[in-house]
Amino acid sequence: MGFNIGSVDPLFLACFAIVALPALAFGTIMIFTWRRDNLSLGISLTCSTIPLILAWWLFFTVKGATLAEPIILQVNWMVSDAVVVPFGFHLDPVSLLMLVIVATISWLIQIYSIGYMEGDPGFARYYADLSLFGMAMLSLVSASGMVQLFISWELVGLASYLLIGFWYEKFSASEAGKKAFVVTRFGDIGFYMGLVFLLYFMKDISLFGLGIADINNIGLTQKLTEAQITLCALLIFCGVAGKSAQFPIHVWLPDAMEGPTPVSALLHSATMVAAGVYLMTRLFPFFAASATAMAVVLAISTITLILSSTIGMVARDIKQVWAYSTISQLGFMAMGLAAAGLAHGTLFAGYYHLTTHAAFKALLFLCAGVFIHHFGTNDFFVMSKDGGRKLMIPMVTVTIAALALAGIFPFSGFFSKELVLAQLWHLDNKLWVGLGLFGAFLTAYYTFRVIFVLLFPRPDDHPAWQTYYVREEVAGHGHGAHGHEEEEAHGSHGHGGHGDHHGVPWVMAFPLIVLAGFTLVLGFMQTRIEKFLLGESHPHELNYLLLVLAVGCALGGIGMAWLDWGRARANWSGFLSKFPMLENFFIQKWYMDHFWRWFLNTVIYGTFSRIFTYNDRRVVDGGVDAVALGTIGSGRLLSFIQTAFLQLNLLFMVLVLAGVGIYLLMGR
Amino acid sequence: MTEHLASFPYLSCMLLSPVVGLFILLFLKEHQRLAIRMVSLVAAGISFGLSIYTFVSYDKALGGLQFVEKYQWVKAFGITYFVGVEGMNAPLLLLTGIVIFTGVLTMWELQERVKEYFIFQLALVTGVFGVFMSYDMFFFFLFYEIAVVPMYILILIWGSTRKIYAAMKLTLYLMAGSGLIIPGILLLYSSSGLFTFNMLQLHAVQFSPWVQKLTFVLMYLGFGVLAGVWPFHTWSPVGHVAAPTAVSMLHAGVLMKLGSFAILRVAMYLCPQGFQYWAQFMGLLAATGIVYGVFVGLAQTDLKYVIGYSSVSHMGIVGLGLATGTVDGLNGAVFQMFAHGVMTALFFSAVGYIYDRTHTRDIHELGGFSKIMPVASAFFITAALCGAGVPGMASFWAELLVLIAAVKVFPIRGLFAIASLVIGALFALRVVQNTFFNEPNPKFTHFEDVSPFLGLPRMILIGFLIFFGLFPQVMVSMIKSSIVPFIQGM
Repeated sequence: MGFNIGSVDPLFLACFAIVALPALAFGTIMIFTWRRDNLSLGISLTCSTIPLILAWWLFFTVKGATLAEPIILQVNWMVSDAVVVPFGFHLDPVSLLMLVIVATISWLIQIYSIGYMEGDPGFARYYADLSLFGMAMLSLVSASGMVQLFISWELVGLASYLLIGFWYEKFSASEAGKKAFVVTRFGDIGFYMGLVFLLYFMKDISLFGLGIADINNIGLTQKLTEAQITLCALLIFCGVAGKSAQFPIHVWLPDAMEGPTPVSALLHSATMVAAGVYLMTRLFPFFAASATAMAVVLAISTITLILSSTIGMVARDIKQVWAYSTISQLGFMAMGLAAAGLAHGTLFAGYYHLTTHAAFKALLFLCAGVFIHHFGTNDFFVMSKDGGRKLMIPMVTVTIAALALAGIFPFSGFFSKELVLAQLWHLDNKLWVGLGLFGAFLTAYYTFRVIFVLLFPRPDDHPAWQTYYVREEVAGHGHGAHGHEEEEAHGSHGHGGHGDHHGVPWVMAFPLIVLAGFTLVLGFMQTRIEKFLLGESHPHELNYLLLVLAVGCALGGIGMAWLDWGRARANWSGFLSKFPMLENFFIQKWYMDHFWRWFLNTVIYGTFSRIFTYNDRRVVDGGVDAVALGTIGSGRLLSFIQTAFLQLNLLFMVLVLAGVGIYLLMGR
Repeated sequence: MTEHLASFPYLSCMLLSPVVGLFILLFLKEHQRLAIRMVSLVAAGISFGLSIYTFVSYDKALGGLQFVEKYQWVKAFGITYFVGVEGMNAPLLLLTGIVIFTGVLTMWELQERVKEYFIFQLALVTGVFGVFMSYDMFFFFLFYEIAVVPMYILILIWGSTRKIYAAMKLTLYLMAGSGLIIPGILLLYSSSGLFTFNMLQLHAVQFSPWVQKLTFVLMYLGFGVLAGVWPFHTWSPVGHVAAPTAVSMLHAGVLMKLGSFAILRVAMYLCPQGFQYWAQFMGLLAATGIVYGVFVGLAQTDLKYVIGYSSVSHMGIVGLGLATGTVDGLNGAVFQMFAHGVMTALFFSAVGYIYDRTHTRDIHELGGFSKIMPVASAFFITAALCGAGVPGMASFWAELLVLIAAVKVFPIRGLFAIASLVIGALFALRVVQNTFFNEPNPKFTHFEDVSPFLGLPRMILIGFLIFFGLFPQVMVSMIKSSIVPFIQGM
């Protein structure tokens, strides 16, 4: 470790502080202050405010870093022989923007959690875990080499594991944490193999510590054959799919909602799950070098979009709906990047959608958190009944965010989704844009299903409740299981029940307002952000046909939601109930959970583990025991010779001597 | 290899400190428990301090063998007392120091036959130190046997769960291993024609290929038994389970490394051509062990069995690294020996604390321990995460080096080893979930958490894991300083 502080670039120190301070907070809280809530809170907040300021400072002051010529500051972390791992920072517009997003949202969540987690017995541990996450995510975003990125990637997974299973006494929470870790690990192994293969293929050329810039150059200079790039890109995409919850390893994300709601907002919607898409953006030139890989990515992300949107239509836990909407929007981002890769576009569309999504999705979850905190339930039908719309700030902000998610002008989601669709439009095969539009329609529908239910509560004798109760029984084994758990874990610590309303505390309202502000403003910042990212902004020729189609789909979805859920006579059954088979298929989440459960129980535990264990007990160990028993047995057998009968011994001696004599005589 | 004589006999002091402690213990009475513990702690502490000193003050730029002490013992047979430190054994001496020191602290609460226990434990650790520092094959083997014998008694008297079976099995297995090693050593001794056991001199001899091939496989299998090489591993989980806490720590943490270190130091060093011939075979056994260990571990319900099988898998990583025969692979292998040693010691020490109170290790019976004893749980969870290969801990780097090197040499075996990391994570988290999360078992809620004093040894172990996780270069540059000349000499 050549740390010589005197000669180090101040820029390096600033970046180092951004990463190291949250790590310091984690260590300090975990070792020293874990019994003292307020002190821990103070440490954690200090160690997230300074990185916030530094990140914005870098964002505005670092000049001259472009996509083609990033600023790379690094020192050697580990030097073995062929394996060299640098530790450092890769500053370019992509990483600077993401640094700001992550630092800002982390900070807002820390503020919000003061109210949300108040009085929880694990308060200090919660802030320690959030700090760990902050450190890992900021390091992931700014890493200069792939190994450092991978390390941060795993640490992000660790923080996610700890936070999902935060209320570990609950079986469902500890199970969900384990599932998240193992499923994403499944993808990460692909990532790991991808990196190892890259090194393997580059045998003769020393790839300095697998630097990000070097990998992107591979795509441009074509040092590898296309097949090799495709293999590596697809393996790395496994990691992307794991973290960004793409089909078929998306199953961990809905379960991850077992964690506290601010955690869902920070990790499982705005920042951590976007890390996968961020990695694709980061390595965009490399990915774009393989058309085959891009086509596969496009197909997978489209399946993800449709799958999650359809499941979102039937979920009745508000966090589940937002979770599936997250998966579908991640699908959108990946589609945007893949389409750009295929049609020689830029990374702007997908990345811009990531930016806007981070703001409005965090907002959606934080609003949901306010409702959950207030009403002690996750079921938005019950929230509606208990007077959800009386909470002014969250209700207004959740509607803003929902409009953005549905893609309505002038909210930010409209602009970014429009760009992604435009990228898809450029492809020869119009199927993709069609599916994208269909996804946009479904998104608007399920989003406004929630909004309309919350906005227009029904009296208790309304026929709609009939449908609700009947369907609760039907779907009891589906989402019902998740229903009221957060309340149990959480409500018992003396949070205000229904009786003692005291509005929304300012620490929880403030982040909502800030994020709502971003949601309103980011759309109009499009050209500026594009200029910042790409160094130039291309004037977009407006494709009126696509514009009309997209807005039509969004409005159509909202209109459909109004007919099914909003208007006074709507009986809350949804158009899907006309297709019971299909609806049940969606309620069962396309049977993906069943598939993985079967895979784990039957293939891993039932087959491999059992056979190997049997083999170990019976064959390997059994063989050894058999040798031991054989030794004892043969000893017993031979001991019969030692009978102390002189006659027998003499006879034996004579026989042996006779045998030897005969042998000697015959031999001569 | 250049030899730099020691100005002060640091290594002999490190070796003799437990012996002196042992003799003092002989004169103490059983009821003087505090005195017995203090003597053992001081004896272990001196060795620990010296092992840190040699690690820190080893001059990497100078390289070669440092702190050398050489005294002729039996001239007729060419036996010399020859000890030294270089880059590849310094980490292992440090590891031994850490594990014995924390082991004594972990066994502080022992009530039964305290005196005898510490006597045997100190005897055991003398042997371990001796193996790691000897450069004379006779002493190497002598210390090797000294390390094995006390294990039998320690398990037999202070053990649990089928202890007689386990002690017998372990001893027979290791004796069978020794039965293979002795012919190997004698073969080299007699065919060299030098009448010396000095390894450095034997290294200079060009043995004929068939001698090398035969000796290598004898030694590989013989030492491999102790290193837990698949399929000669079954003694180890059984032994871990039966042994008392600190003995499990020493056993899995240090003793298994004797085997892998000996493969590197003796077999590969003296028979390079034999190694080239058998490398594919070694790689195959190692990769099988990695995959096999995690799958079998997945089905276990006894905490110590789980750790035992994770050791089989992690020692497979060491074996795979050795089999590559490249600088990265060997760096990773030695690093993994160190990292796995500290990690397993932490594992057993955490399990021991819980077992001493609950008297069960069945993961279905335990549960919710994060609520009952948060600190003790944190120790175990840290070890489990380290075992699952989470970065920020020492073993991540070791695995990274080994796996990258392995894919280059044996692509398919390397990929299988990488793929097993998923199961490794599942395996670790399954135990953590069942034992530490969920609702606590009401039977166990009255137990108290670890006191700061008993927490100390665990904190030392975690400290080393994290220190080398954050600053891997400290370890890698150390190991590399002797691996590079080692490979060049092969």
